[in-house]
Amino acid sequence: MSEDRDEVRELAARARAGEVGAFEALYQMHQAGIYTFIRSQVREAELAADLTQDTFVRAWESLPRLRKVGAFRGWLYQIARNLVRDEVKSGRARLEMLASAVVSEQGAELPEPAAEGERPEDLVVSEEVKGEIWRALESLPAEQREAVVMHHMEGMGMKEIAEVMRVRPGTVMSRLARAREALRKRLSEYVEGSDEGM
Amino acid sequence: MKACELIRGKLAEYAVGGLRRRARARVEAHVGECERCRAELAALKRTGALLDEVGADDAPAGTWEAVRQRMTEHPRAGVRARPRWAWAMGGVALVLVALAVLLIGPPRVEEPVLVAAAEADEEMQATMDGHLSAVWAAPLSDVAGVGLRMAALENDG
Repeated sequence: MSEDRDEVRELAARARAGEVGAFEALYQMHQAGIYTFIRSQVREAELAADLTQDTFVRAWESLPRLRKVGAFRGWLYQIARNLVRDEVKSGRARLEMLASAVVSEQGAELPEPAAEGERPEDLVVSEEVKGEIWRALESLPAEQREAVVMHHMEGMGMKEIAEVMRVRPGTVMSRLARAREALRKRLSEYVEGSDEGM
Repeated sequence: MKACELIRGKLAEYAVGGLRRRARARVEAHVGECERCRAELAALKRTGALLDEVGADDAPAGTWEAVRQRMTEHPRAGVRARPRWAWAMGGVALVLVALAVLLIGPPRVEEPVLVAAAEADEEMQATMDGHLSAVWAAPLSDVAGVGLRMAALENDG
């Protein structure tokens, strides 16, 4: 997901001043990313929806204390991350996700491996493949999974992810590399093929 | 083969853009010559491309409406409205004070009255001094009500 940073900064400033319409626009921009991020960490879909609500309500309440409105997205993910952590600590949630929430486990036929000469941008990711990817993600340690979701599904950079996770950018890079290795093995059926265009 | 083992350990970092220039150059030089490592790097890149394609799922319908509702119910701390019961209690307190004024007359806290009271009774003076402080700090408190009553009694006396 790409976003117009200037627009987010302006909307966040207006929302901080109390403009509900601006906050709704921010919600629309970030709800899918936040929900997917939370969904990747907790098993129950209903709980993920509740935590998504909690994240935005907490953000609205805390916005007056956000000094750098340009850091809104990372700050929002920090809130979501903390809420997930609290939920896990309380014992109401497990730090797991359910691949079948994304794609049902109905034994759908798996797609063919990447064809010879096919480039990444030519890949059409079917729902079945998405399911396989989520199942592969489930096998990752939570911190690697968080980094993968923020980087690949939300398009966040290393520095921004590092701020959310409160680690150095090099640590994020390392987590992404380890995750990439593990996922490459689990998804070998789809990613092994020609090296053309790489 | 040994070169392959060394490079293989760096391919994932290379694929995510995590290597410095010199290490990156070594990887590039090797994969330019080694077909197997080149294929492995391609697979790692394809993995990243697959992940990029997954995208995010929307939150369930009605989530914004629920958020909006909760925003209304729980205003921001900085601009938090008083709960209704607090306003009601404040109103009751005002009515009681108004009734007290009507029933026992306006308070007389002017200096001469206090001086007169002190002349009449030192203990009363101490009480009135304490009351004055209380009234100053909390003019609508029960203490103020007691003070009003005492001042009225003093006037009567």
